Amino acid sequence: MTDRASPRVFLVDDHELIRAGIRAELKDKVTVVGEADEVEAAIELILERLPDVVLLDVHIPGGGGQAVLEAVSRQNQNVRFLALSVSDAAEDVIAVIRAGARGYVTKNISGDELVEAIHRVAEGDAVFSRHLAGFVLDAFTGRTIDDSSSRETADPELDQLTPREREVLRLIARGYAYKEVATELGISIKTVESHVSAVLRKLQLSNRHQLTNWASQRRLL
Amino acid sequence: MSRRWRTWQALDITQISHPSRHRRTELQSPKAPRRGHGRPERPFRRESEDAILGGVCGGIARRLGVPTRLIRFLAAICVLFGGLGLVIYTALWICILRRDETESIASRIVSRKRETQLLLVCGTGVIALLIAADAVGLAQGSNGLSWVLGRFSWAVSLSCVGLFGVWRGASLDEKLHLQELLNSAPIIGADKLRGWKQTVARAAAGVALVVVGFATVSKGGVGRYGAVHTLLGALVLMFGFFVLFAPWWLRTVRELTSERRDRVRAEERADMAAHLHDSVLQTLSLIQRSSDNPAEVARLARIQERDLRSWLFDPVAFARRSGAPEQLTEQIDQIVRDVEESYSVPVESVVVGDVPLDDAVSALAAAGKEAIVNAAKWSGASVISSYVEVEDDRISMFVRDRGCGFDPASVPADRHGISKSIVERMERFGGASSIRSSPDSGTEVTLTLPWQPRAA
Repeated sequence: MTDRASPRVFLVDDHELIRAGIRAELKDKVTVVGEADEVEAAIELILERLPDVVLLDVHIPGGGGQAVLEAVSRQNQNVRFLALSVSDAAEDVIAVIRAGARGYVTKNISGDELVEAIHRVAEGDAVFSRHLAGFVLDAFTGRTIDDSSSRETADPELDQLTPREREVLRLIARGYAYKEVATELGISIKTVESHVSAVLRKLQLSNRHQLTNWASQRRLL
Repeated sequence: MSRRWRTWQALDITQISHPSRHRRTELQSPKAPRRGHGRPERPFRRESEDAILGGVCGGIARRLGVPTRLIRFLAAICVLFGGLGLVIYTALWICILRRDETESIASRIVSRKRETQLLLVCGTGVIALLIAADAVGLAQGSNGLSWVLGRFSWAVSLSCVGLFGVWRGASLDEKLHLQELLNSAPIIGADKLRGWKQTVARAAAGVALVVVGFATVSKGGVGRYGAVHTLLGALVLMFGFFVLFAPWWLRTVRELTSERRDRVRAEERADMAAHLHDSVLQTLSLIQRSSDNPAEVARLARIQERDLRSWLFDPVAFARRSGAPEQLTEQIDQIVRDVEESYSVPVESVVVGDVPLDDAVSALAAAGKEAIVNAAKWSGASVISSYVEVEDDRISMFVRDRGCGFDPASVPADRHGISKSIVERMERFGGASSIRSSPDSGTEVTLTLPWQPRAA
């Protein structure tokens, strides 16, 4: 891990204290190229400095992290986003992933895990927290929703997880690191990563009504 | 009529709840222009930014993917056909949702009884007046003025009623837009209040209109079209008074609107303050009192974090918390809370699916609790992961820690924790349990329970 190039990281969070904390955690391990505390400034600076990874708080004034994500990816698709939030509510998580973030971690993540996640996103892979894995399993396969009404989607491929993907997600939800998942299933880490990326793609592109419905129902039920 | 409004509303709610759908199309082709020329866009919404009046033209343009100016031009032509354009415009203004809003003006009015009555009374009055005018042949003359009146009176009066409805039913945001519109209107606008020249100009215009109006009214009543003159004079008179008093009226309205908004905000803040006082402030004072005991401080902070988190992000679960658990998720929630509070170890829980509690499911939860408690007591791990999944034919629970691990075979026979509380309990309900443990990767306890979804 030490010989990997140090990714250029940009912080977006409206709390000075949190930014300082993250900067301290990341010092030496990645290059922090800038930070912003609201939407407008974030969009401008990100497009100017073109970092590899943007650490994006979901709840920031001026439209939320989603606004930054959408504005930046409209102009430049090489910037990757890792959402970082104190909220682990399904609505927030699903919304920001659907908007194009490559991963979602909660703020109580340890420093090392965060660095690992940043590297992973910088290399184009997806980062799934345990909660996110659980949400995906719940939304795609869970029994909480009667899904008889949502079968008329255009691309059934996107609406289902393969058995292998389910296994990988289930292990992640159980608290296994990628490496442990690989050992458990007897596959390489690269394969685990590609499974997770495939799930991320489905999560972002699936037309399934359920995803958004499911997320908002979790709040309303 | 109201049924149609409702379906409209229902339709829009379903679309609002999937905002990601059209957002995604924008993401996929970032170079596509956002509005105006280009591809048609669903759903049909009134524009909030590209708007002069209600944003109807902007909305149509975006829906069809043509320039807004073209639609505005066509609309203006439409107005010439007996004012048809006016009526259509007002109707759309009332019935179509404004972008990013969840309720149309129509549904807002229908849902408030007083507004509905007010509008019905106005509408009926105006229609009665028009019919009466028709009956006395007021607007059927061949003279130019009454020809124009006859052509447009229906359309204009109906749209006036409609505009009144718009004003009563518009959202706060749209009201602000309308106020700005009025404020920036020539002569009557409040923005022009600044500077004595404008004040004088307005006063002069107002007085002139009032005088002309009076003159027309008092002189009216002679000749064949006397009634028309009187009516016209009255209108001019009213407009004169409006010009004179508009800024004062506008200011009053604006103050009322912003006052109401402030009141709503103040109530929200009071609610929040009450909750924060009961929870966070209490905990902070407890923490100060036990500041020499780090374990206790961490415990209090964690309980408070959990509480605040569920209050902020999962209000339903928060409200439900008081009663005894009826669903598996609630039961797991409670177990996690209990363990965290008693053992000061964070437990991260993920639950997929949910089932109502019965004896077997409760047994699974109890066995799971034993596993979590063991991990908290003996493993020394800094965090415990719990994962529960309800599948088609079974329920599984996994409790994992990255602690010191142990050898299940070396546990003395007189320790009943694992054998009685986990293994035997699961077997009694036809389930199974397994334990995997090693010094370097910690311990994982797996519990499975066969389960059939009951026919409803």
